Amino acid sequence: MKSKMAVRRRTTLAFALLAATSVLGISGSASAETVKLQFWDMIWGQPEYIKAAQKIVQDFNKEHPEIQVEYRSIPWSNWYQTFVTAVSSGSAPDISTGAGYQAVQLYKMGAIRPLDGMIEKMKADGDLNDFAPGTVETLRFDNHYVSLPWGLDIRLWYYRPSLLKAAGVEPPKTWEEFRAAAKKLTADGKYGVVASGDTGGSHYVLSSMLNNGGGMFDADRKLTLSSNDRNVEALEWLSGIVADGSMHPASPGYSADDRRATFFRGEAAFSLDSPNIYKQAGAVSDDIAVLPPMQGPHGDTGTIFWVNNIMMYKQTKNPEAAETFVRWWSQNELPLWTEGHTGQIPARQSFLKDAVAGDDRYKYIVDNYIPIGKTTATAYKGIFPALSEVEGEGVLQTLTQQIFQGVPVKDALPQAESRIQEILNK
Amino acid sequence: MSLVAERAPYAGRSSVRQWWNNGNALPYLLLLPSAVVIGVVILIPFFEALQYSFTNSSLLEVGKFVGLDNYTKLLSSKDFWNAFRFSVIFALANVIGCYILGLGLALLMNMEMPFRGFFRVALLLPWIIPSVVSIVSWRWMVADHNAVFNQIIQLFGGRPIFFLSNNDWAQFIVVLIKIWRSFPFMMLSLLAALQGIDRSLYEAAALDGATKWKAFWHVTLPQIRDVSIVLCLLMTIWSVNDFDTPFLLTQGGPANSTENFVLLAYKYTFARNDLGTGAAISFVTLIILMVFIVIMLRRQREA
Repeated sequence: MKSKMAVRRRTTLAFALLAATSVLGISGSASAETVKLQFWDMIWGQPEYIKAAQKIVQDFNKEHPEIQVEYRSIPWSNWYQTFVTAVSSGSAPDISTGAGYQAVQLYKMGAIRPLDGMIEKMKADGDLNDFAPGTVETLRFDNHYVSLPWGLDIRLWYYRPSLLKAAGVEPPKTWEEFRAAAKKLTADGKYGVVASGDTGGSHYVLSSMLNNGGGMFDADRKLTLSSNDRNVEALEWLSGIVADGSMHPASPGYSADDRRATFFRGEAAFSLDSPNIYKQAGAVSDDIAVLPPMQGPHGDTGTIFWVNNIMMYKQTKNPEAAETFVRWWSQNELPLWTEGHTGQIPARQSFLKDAVAGDDRYKYIVDNYIPIGKTTATAYKGIFPALSEVEGEGVLQTLTQQIFQGVPVKDALPQAESRIQEILNK
Repeated sequence: MSLVAERAPYAGRSSVRQWWNNGNALPYLLLLPSAVVIGVVILIPFFEALQYSFTNSSLLEVGKFVGLDNYTKLLSSKDFWNAFRFSVIFALANVIGCYILGLGLALLMNMEMPFRGFFRVALLLPWIIPSVVSIVSWRWMVADHNAVFNQIIQLFGGRPIFFLSNNDWAQFIVVLIKIWRSFPFMMLSLLAALQGIDRSLYEAAALDGATKWKAFWHVTLPQIRDVSIVLCLLMTIWSVNDFDTPFLLTQGGPANSTENFVLLAYKYTFARNDLGTGAAISFVTLIILMVFIVIMLRRQREA
C-alpha cells in the first residue's frame, strides 16, 4: 500500500514537472532555440499582395527553422498612430516596412535600430550595388543607415485615351497644353481633371512644384514654400485649372478611392496616381494610359517620389535574427511584383526585368518617371524626420483643399508656410 | 489627562466596531469595487493627462514641465478658435435640431395611430446602427454628384451640390447626420416624459376651453421642462465630444471647416505627436463641458 502510494506520488510529481516544463516552454531543446519575430508589413497592393508576402515569410520560416517570423498586414489608415502607439506601449514589432520617412522619424524618437552593420556587409559582398543609384544613401540620417530600401513609389499623370480621342485632343506634353486639354475635355458632366482632398491630393501640389523645378526646401533645409517663385507658379497653374472649371468640383472632399472611382468611371480625363493603378481598373484598364512627363513653363520635368523601406526596431530582443530576415526578405521579395502585383517599383535593379515583364506601361514608368523623381525634401539632399509630419500632419492637405476650392494661392500659402515652419522649429 | 488619553483609542475602536456591527459599512463595501474601477479607469488617466498638459511630452517620452505654455499657445492659435467656432455651431444646431425633431416625433408616437409600434422601433434605427456603418453609408449618399442626394436634387431640376467640398455644405451635412444619429434618444426620452403627464391636467385645460395649441404650450411644455433641460445639456455634452461624425465623414475638412475640439486634440496628439497640447485641448474642452455638467446636476437635484 505504502509503495503504491509512493509510486502514485512519484507519477503525480513527474506529470506535474512535465506540465510545468511544457508551460514554461522548456520541454525541448528545439523550441528553446527558436527565435520568434514579429514582422509588420504595410499593405502595398491588392489582396494578392498580402498572399504573396505571406508566402515569402513561410518560405523564410521553412528555410530558417531556428527563426520563426509572424506576418501581420497593417492598413494605411492611421498608420502613424499604429506605429507610435506600438512603440510607446512597448509592443513594437521586430521589423516593419513603412512609409518613406517613417524610419527616420521613428529613429529620431529613439525607436529604430540602424542597419549599419548589415549594410557594411552588403557593401563588402557587392549586394548593395544591386540597389537603384542613391536610394540606400537617401535613407542615411545622422550618419546611420536607418533602413533598407525595397520599393520606390512615384506619382505620375494618367489619362483616358478614349475621352481624349472623342474630344480630338492629343496627349499634352506641356503644362499649357494640359490646361487647354483639360478645359476642352470638361463638358456634359465630365471634367478634365479629378483630384482628392486627402494625402493623395496633396501629391498634386508636391508633384506640380517639383515638376516646375521648385521644392519646399533649399539646399540648407530652409523652408522655401512661398519664397520660391517656382512653387507659387505651380500652385497658380493648379489654381488656374480650378478657375477654368476643369477640376472636378467634388475633388476637395474626395478620398483617393473616390478619385480613382471617378477616373475609372470615365468622369474625368486626367488623374495623378501611383504606378500600376490601372491594374485596379477592371474592364477599363486598357483605356488608361500613362502621360509622358510634362514640361513646366521653364522646360523642367519632375515629380514626387519616395524610397519605401524596411526597418528594424530597437525593441527587438533578437537583432541578429531580425537582420537575417531583413536581408533574406530583401533578396527574395521578387514575388511581391510577379505574384503580388504591388504598385511599387523595385529598389533592386535585378528585379526590374521580371517586375516589368509583359507590362509596357510599367516599363514606361520605370524608364521615364523614376529618373525624374524627387523627394519631399528637395532641394535638400537627403531626408529628415520632420518630413513625415509635414506630409502626414494635415497642413498640405488643407492647402490642397483650399487650392481646389478656389481659394487664391496668396491667401492659402501663408497659413501653410507658418504651420510647416512650426513643425520644422520643433 | 493620562486616563483620557488611554481610553480614547479604546472608545474609538468600540464605536467603529459598533458602526461596523450595525451594518453601516455594507454600502461602502458594496461601493468599493466600483470606486476602485473608477479610480483605475478614470481618475488615474485623468490626473496623468492633467500632468501631461503642463509638459512638452510626446507619445514616446515624458517631456519637461512647461507651465501654462500649452494653454497659452492654444488660446493664441487659429486652429483652436476655428475648432471652438465649429464646436459651438455643431452643438447648438444639433441640440435645436434634435429637440425639434425628437419632440415632434414623440408627440406623434404618443398619439393613437396605426402601426405605432412599428414606427417606434423603426425610428430607433439611426441610434442602433453602428456609427461607422451609418456614417460611411451617409458619405456614399452625399459625396458625389451621382450620389442619392444629388440624384434627387437633379430629379427636381436642381444642380448637384458637392456637399463635402464646400465648407458651409460640409458643416451642414455633418450637423444633419449628427441630428439623424441623435434624435431617437431625444424622442424616446421625451416620449417617456409625455406618457408621465397626468391626463387630468389636459381634461382641466379642456374644461377651461384651452385649444390643443394652448394645452401644448401651457401644459405639455411646462411638464416636460426639467427633462428637456437635462436632455439638451446631455446632447450638448455629446455633441462637443463627438469624434465619429466629423472624423468618418470629412476628417475635419475641407480646409478644417468641420474640425471640432476632439478632432483637434486627436490631431495634436497623434498627427503632430504633441501630447502636451493634445492634453491641454482636452482639459479646455472639459472646463467648457463642466459648466454644462454643473447646470445639469443642479437641475437634476432640483427636480
